[in-house]
Amino acid sequence: MSISDKDSTDKDITDQNSTDSDTLININHLSSAYGDRQVLNDINLSVEQGEILVIMGGSGSGKSTLLRNMLGLMQPSSGEILFEGKNICHVNKSEMLKLRRKMGVAFQGGALLSSLSVGDNIKLPLRQHTDLDENTINIMARLKLELMSLANFEDLMPSELSGGMLKRAGLARAVIMDPKILFFDEPSAGLDPVTSVELDQLILQLRTAMNMTIVVVTHELESAFTIADRIAVLFDGELVTTGTVDEIKNCTDERVINLINRTPREMKIDADKYLSRLTKGAS
Amino acid sequence: MSFDCSEHLHYKVLHLTGEVDLSNSSKVRQCLLDILNKGKSVIVDFSELIYIDSSGMATLVEGLNIAKKGGLTLTIAGANGAPMQVLELTRLNQVFTIVDAVSDIGE
Amino acid sequence: MFAQIEKLGAHTIQIFEEFGRLLMFLGQVIFSVFSRPFGFRDLVKQIAFIGARSMPIILLSGLFTGMVLALQFYDVLARFGSVDLMGSAVSLSLIQELGPVMTALMIIARVGSATCAEIAIMRSEQQFDALTCMAISPFRYVMVPRLLAAIISIPLLTAIFNLIGIVGGYIVGVFIKDLSGTAYMQTIIDTITWSDLRMSIVKSFLFAIIIIWISMGKGFFVHLEKGVSGAEAVGRVTTKAVVASAITMLFADYIASSFLI
Repeated sequence: MSISDKDSTDKDITDQNSTDSDTLININHLSSAYGDRQVLNDINLSVEQGEILVIMGGSGSGKSTLLRNMLGLMQPSSGEILFEGKNICHVNKSEMLKLRRKMGVAFQGGALLSSLSVGDNIKLPLRQHTDLDENTINIMARLKLELMSLANFEDLMPSELSGGMLKRAGLARAVIMDPKILFFDEPSAGLDPVTSVELDQLILQLRTAMNMTIVVVTHELESAFTIADRIAVLFDGELVTTGTVDEIKNCTDERVINLINRTPREMKIDADKYLSRLTKGAS
Repeated sequence: MSFDCSEHLHYKVLHLTGEVDLSNSSKVRQCLLDILNKGKSVIVDFSELIYIDSSGMATLVEGLNIAKKGGLTLTIAGANGAPMQVLELTRLNQVFTIVDAVSDIGE
Repeated sequence: MFAQIEKLGAHTIQIFEEFGRLLMFLGQVIFSVFSRPFGFRDLVKQIAFIGARSMPIILLSGLFTGMVLALQFYDVLARFGSVDLMGSAVSLSLIQELGPVMTALMIIARVGSATCAEIAIMRSEQQFDALTCMAISPFRYVMVPRLLAAIISIPLLTAIFNLIGIVGGYIVGVFIKDLSGTAYMQTIIDTITWSDLRMSIVKSFLFAIIIIWISMGKGFFVHLEKGVSGAEAVGRVTTKAVVASAITMLFADYIASSFLI
């Protein structure tokens, strides 16, 4: 089962607050595997309060796995993830629920519940977790819908929305409780350039107006360079480097350069093995 | 967060101090609705407000709607910093009447 | 030859793994029944889907089953000169066996497949991840209403199946085979005992759990299906769920019958 809220006692609550009061998330020596396949190797990363951190990498670099670990959707094979000083891998269920209410997650395809209308989807966290009046809930949901340019879509069902709209609806739901930290999985995937730019601007505004910390997982360079305070580059499960946009642009690591210049990886091949792979099974 | 009420001319002034969020916006709502139900126009004083979230904003929107229906007014005074940015982000700065200070409001 | 044995071994291990996962899944769903808040609205929605909207199919299949039973029994009983026992024969067969089993099969076809597909698609679209991240338990929010709705609806549907089957038998017996209507009803009243009804209730309750458990469980773990993804995976688990529910139900039927007859 992928749900990893453990009913264990509160051990390992390291108090990071005294030294790093601005650090929201600390990832220490994180390694993660799917069965035998090692996906992440010894990742060390921090997320500072109020920053926009972009996690970048090509396909298969492990960025989705890193995100799933940060969200507590899977357990790492080793290492720890500290959220506000608490190790989410060992925290008990009620503590995890409290932490989750400070997180908003916008999934790649929106991940709206198909049986609820767009409006009901967005209102769901409020109805489940707060005692707010229904009038207040309605206005809050509509404020977010207006923000996402989805004003007239409140009563539609998810199946009636386009991919871009689903994404924006998912984002509206993710920020409905004004979370402390917002995670955004591939915001630009499947969007036209204009909408993508609008979304970038929205992300920047959310950070400024709502003092939100934002973690974006993406492979879109333009987007990353527009919004990021810091960029973390992943390659084959390893964290290659972290730095500001300028630092990344001037980085001398070959893998980073290839990523930025979008050159295909020049794979050095073993000629004999390559030939035998190509001709496997031939008589 | 704390809030208190005072009077300015024929208005009731609701001073918001600190942060209005999910934990306390219902109280603000109750106070605001009480004032409006008594038929008084309201000035919401933002000058000491550090932060307001969507639930707080929604409360003010509801208040404004009720005020308009009852022929009353709801004005925001002294918005600055993060609360002002929220008003701009949500485009509510084009919906609410916003003044610099409570004293700017005449008869 | 060793490759074949390896394959067989791997397959067997896989079956045990899947079964273990499904058992843990069932445990988690049952445990979540007691967590708050209780989704009453969702429960009603599911009762409407599983119960109310299955009525047409249950009424039709019940009617035809009763009618066929009457024809079959007439043929057999006539050879022994006991056609007046038709009422009790039809009703006993329905109440003890065919009612629960046929109802279960109809529900598997209609509800089992739809539920499995729906949950599999929810999994594929990360809706369960979204719920978890919103601090809403997918078990409490999605699974529990379906489990409770099945437990409430399916025994009721079984009872309706039995009743309409008896009516079907009556129609054939009285209007086609010229039997006495009063005799038909009287033999039923004389023969059916509480233990027969108890068997019907226990079986339908058991089948309800089996059907909804396997359908939801198979859908929930669609992402663990090897070698397929997307629409193909959804199709595959749905087929597996229907087959597995049917076979498990029939096995449970045998066990229940051996204890309760």
